[in-house]
Amino acid sequence: MIVGVKDGFKFIGVAVVCACATFVLTFFLNYRLDALAVDAGTLSEEARALYDAQLVSAKITCAVTGGCLALIAAALTVFYVGVYIDSRAQRLGVLKALGYSDGRLAAGFLAFGLSVFVGSAAGHGAGYAFSPIVYRLMSDGLIPLTLRYHTTLTVCLVLLPTALFAALAALCALVKLRRPALSLIRGKAEREKHGKDGRAERSFLRDCMLKTPARSKLLTFFVAIAGFCYGTMLQMSRSMKELSSVTMGAVMLLIGVVLSVTAFALAMTSLTRANAKTVALMRAYGYSLSECGAAVFGGFRLFAYLGFAVGTVYQYGLLKLMTAVVFRGVAGMPAYTFDVKAFFVTLATFLVLYEAAIAFFTYRIGKTPLKNFIAE
Amino acid sequence: MIFAENVTKSYANGRTQTQVLKGVSLEVKKGELAVVLGASGSGKSTLLSVLSGLETPDSGRVVADGEEISAMSEGERTKFRRRAVGFVFQQYFLLPHLTAEKNVKLGADLAKNGSYGEILAAVGLGEKRKKYPSELSGGEQQRVSIARAVAKNPKILFLDEPTGALDEETGRSVIDYLLKLQRERGFTAVMVTHNENLSETADRVIRMNSGKIIAVNQNGRKKSAYEIGW
Repeated sequence: MIVGVKDGFKFIGVAVVCACATFVLTFFLNYRLDALAVDAGTLSEEARALYDAQLVSAKITCAVTGGCLALIAAALTVFYVGVYIDSRAQRLGVLKALGYSDGRLAAGFLAFGLSVFVGSAAGHGAGYAFSPIVYRLMSDGLIPLTLRYHTTLTVCLVLLPTALFAALAALCALVKLRRPALSLIRGKAEREKHGKDGRAERSFLRDCMLKTPARSKLLTFFVAIAGFCYGTMLQMSRSMKELSSVTMGAVMLLIGVVLSVTAFALAMTSLTRANAKTVALMRAYGYSLSECGAAVFGGFRLFAYLGFAVGTVYQYGLLKLMTAVVFRGVAGMPAYTFDVKAFFVTLATFLVLYEAAIAFFTYRIGKTPLKNFIAE
Repeated sequence: MIFAENVTKSYANGRTQTQVLKGVSLEVKKGELAVVLGASGSGKSTLLSVLSGLETPDSGRVVADGEEISAMSEGERTKFRRRAVGFVFQQYFLLPHLTAEKNVKLGADLAKNGSYGEILAAVGLGEKRKKYPSELSGGEQQRVSIARAVAKNPKILFLDEPTGALDEETGRSVIDYLLKLQRERGFTAVMVTHNENLSETADRVIRMNSGKIIAVNQNGRKKSAYEIGW
């Protein structure tokens, strides 16, 4: 078997993102479907305003959350398949040399759909378990709603993504495997595209710092996404206390932390692995651990903070839109203003956690045994 | 310049300990080229890592450039390597995303050496300084790696099988470039190899077998790789 069932479950990052996405989408979409079954004509004027607002709110949240998380999951899939093929290039090359077609090898990657299935099934189940609380919070005792199970949702949120992501993994594998068998066996990477050569007077460390993010665009995206998720979800969760409830705030906080930690850890562990040799060489030459850390991770700091900044603007825009347009006219809805205190608290925790994580990964990258490297 | 006394080193191999160096003692004088010869598994590479401060011995003393590196902490050894040591590896280990010039800067920056371009020219790669490693031949890549090590102005250069991945002709030319640079700059060099032909290019030849030094010979006059007909 080219990709074993066990390998299929190693797609942890995708499973986590799928679980988060399906969790949110399940209770919002289920709420929307159940709400649409209610005869709106029987509602009081106050209840009708809330009813209309919640329908639109559920729609917007699902579109935004679903869209963002699907994009992240797709990027993760492309990344994982690439890493999987690169790390097993020799074995795959031998199989190709023995006569296995690209299509047959790529078909094995359908097994990666298993992680999507596990993640989305878990998120879907958790979404249903959490639904009674959401119904109570969103209906505010004004809309008479009964929680019903919708098979369509299971199909659309669990089975369909499983099939789509399995197909995406196989397609990515097909593209990545379009190399001669010999090139896979020799482990020759596809010819690296070289960007502009940096200025001659620029120091080696500065060159490394600038070139590492440019060489690992997908990892740069994940670092930015980690900053974005942290900035968005944590500030939103604070605002949710006033706009919705402490429970919704806690859910957002949890999702924000899980998503940002997943994306960040994935990027950092991949960078650590990919740069082990460079760091071993630098250490042999006498570069300090902090210089090695700066060369490998330093260039990503800008993107992490940029992600945080975009996340801050995005959450402000989204909440402003919700309160000023969607929930306009709903009784008891407070006016939303930018929460300066929440911003500074989130920024401070982000700064501390980010730098602590970089220090941790710098320490880990320094653990590469120099002797292994010299004897290679 | 380098002095080792009764050095031992073992590695854990599962539950068993394998002793790789069994009481090695040697001396390499300032400005010498010492070649360590031995078959695969004789402990040459381990000796190189211990002499260069990449690793500490289990017992015994290692003194290099007047400092007892066997008694140093990890941090102190890093500083020692930064100050005094250069490396050339069999597999070159050039950074693929950087040009030849920028790879040499990895070493040059540590010594604040602005004239690294001259060293690239000295190894015959002045014209190819803007090329990436993938655009260079094996011999050229090894010459870049020698330039990278020499640009650091090392007091001691350690070379681990520098011709191991090269054909005979290319290997010869790389060794001659190395000898030329050593003559010009006067650094001490310790080269580990299993290539017997290289023994005549050295001032001192140290033969190893099963973790022990079995013979040390001194050559009166170093020969070029071409002179010895290798």
